[in-house]
Amino acid sequence: MADDLIYLDYAASTPVDPRVYERMREVGVAAYANPSSTHAAGRMTHAAIATAAGQLGALLNADPKTLIWTSGATESDNLAIAGAARYRAHKGKHIVTMKTEHKAVTDVFDALAREGFEVSWIEPDSRGVLDPAAFAAALRDDTQFASIMFVNNETGVIQDIEALGSICRERDILFHVDGAQAVGKVPIDLAALPVDLLSLTGHKFYGPKGIGALYIADRPGCHVDPILFGGGQQRRIRPGTLPTDLIAGLGMASEIAAGRIDDDLEHVSGLRDALWSGIREIDGISLNGDPNGFPGILNVSVDDIEGESLLLALEPLQVATGSACNSKSQEPSYVLRALGRTDMQAQSAIRFSVGRPTTMSEVEFAAGQYRDAVARLRAMAPEAAA
Amino acid sequence: MSADPYSAKVRELFAAPAHAGDLAGGKTVSVTDQDVRLRLSAAVTDGTISAMRFSVWGCPHVIAAAEAICSDLEGHPPGDLESYTAADVMQNLPVPVEKTGRILVIEDAVRSLGQRFCDGT
Repeated sequence: MADDLIYLDYAASTPVDPRVYERMREVGVAAYANPSSTHAAGRMTHAAIATAAGQLGALLNADPKTLIWTSGATESDNLAIAGAARYRAHKGKHIVTMKTEHKAVTDVFDALAREGFEVSWIEPDSRGVLDPAAFAAALRDDTQFASIMFVNNETGVIQDIEALGSICRERDILFHVDGAQAVGKVPIDLAALPVDLLSLTGHKFYGPKGIGALYIADRPGCHVDPILFGGGQQRRIRPGTLPTDLIAGLGMASEIAAGRIDDDLEHVSGLRDALWSGIREIDGISLNGDPNGFPGILNVSVDDIEGESLLLALEPLQVATGSACNSKSQEPSYVLRALGRTDMQAQSAIRFSVGRPTTMSEVEFAAGQYRDAVARLRAMAPEAAA
Repeated sequence: MSADPYSAKVRELFAAPAHAGDLAGGKTVSVTDQDVRLRLSAAVTDGTISAMRFSVWGCPHVIAAAEAICSDLEGHPPGDLESYTAADVMQNLPVPVEKTGRILVIEDAVRSLGQRFCDGT
């Protein structure tokens, strides 16, 4: 990345930790055989994968045998949602999720609706928090599956996974959690949490892109039908030759995260607080999300500012807009609209997300750049009609 | 890598719009349409447009186009405002086709301004 850019988009992706890259290089060079082969070289590759599963399992406090490797969170979400809903279709056709889920979840629910499943879309409160009582109220006798994300990718809002999962357990509803923004960033104990399926991806916590995993709890009735076919790998749940070097990288990223997750949280909390302190006095600014959410994300809107111009005026900051997950869309974020924000508020939203490499001087510069950009664009605009 | 949505020209005009602001003593029109809020002013001295200024709420292409148009029209006779077309600005910046409507809002404002000079209103 160019030296003059200030990257504040760690919720979109993170740089690969050099130790992760080194592990990938080691494994990629030495353990190149097909891990399904039974010869010594194949067993060496298989051992590298087992090591990675142990590292990820340790991060999540999960049995490594419960982990299925995928290409990333999108595939994990697809496998979990479509696979579980179809596997359990005999129990009912009603499935439940939230309006503020990632597209990797909502698009699968839309696809299942076209297959004949009945979807309930639950609305969060104005902070984006799902009330467990509202969740329980949306469940029915024929509800067989629910999916709720751990940390929202746009706002950082954290849901009460323990309460929601407990409600599902009481009713024999399979419970999936999109953990893409949570794994490696907030403590997760799958031995204690009532979670049946959990999606994750490596590149959100300093691992490589193109590799993720799906946790499938080892308990009766917790299973998914495959969505890919072509071999017997990974208990036929997700066939295909495993990308050993990427898996080894995800394993190393997991080990690193496990050793510093509390320090990382403290670091990003300090940065987020400093950034918010530097801009919160701006007239018309508002926080999108819950102040008690994941501290690595700060999403703000400001009145009467055009979002695309704000984004350009913020350069060299590399941040995300309130447009639907990418700047190519002109549509205001459906997540922010679900929180009750107006189109005008949603289109002006900027998501700052900080990470391990972020420095205090960077966020102080960012706060100043944001203040200046808002002031400049407001000075350039005619007054709005009353 | 995704293509940069902004040309060097758009970035330059957006960063330093020399004609942003108000103009005392000129004629002014205001329009709000197509995600654009624009106030456009012009002053005429000795039969030529001596100064143009704009205030705008809009995307970077709109801001750049407003700056380019004001810069281009200074020194022209006010009669050119009425027949003004933004086609050259659209092409030179360039402006993506999906934003054509926004630039036409500016074009309409320029023509309205020209009409005001013609009518003496």
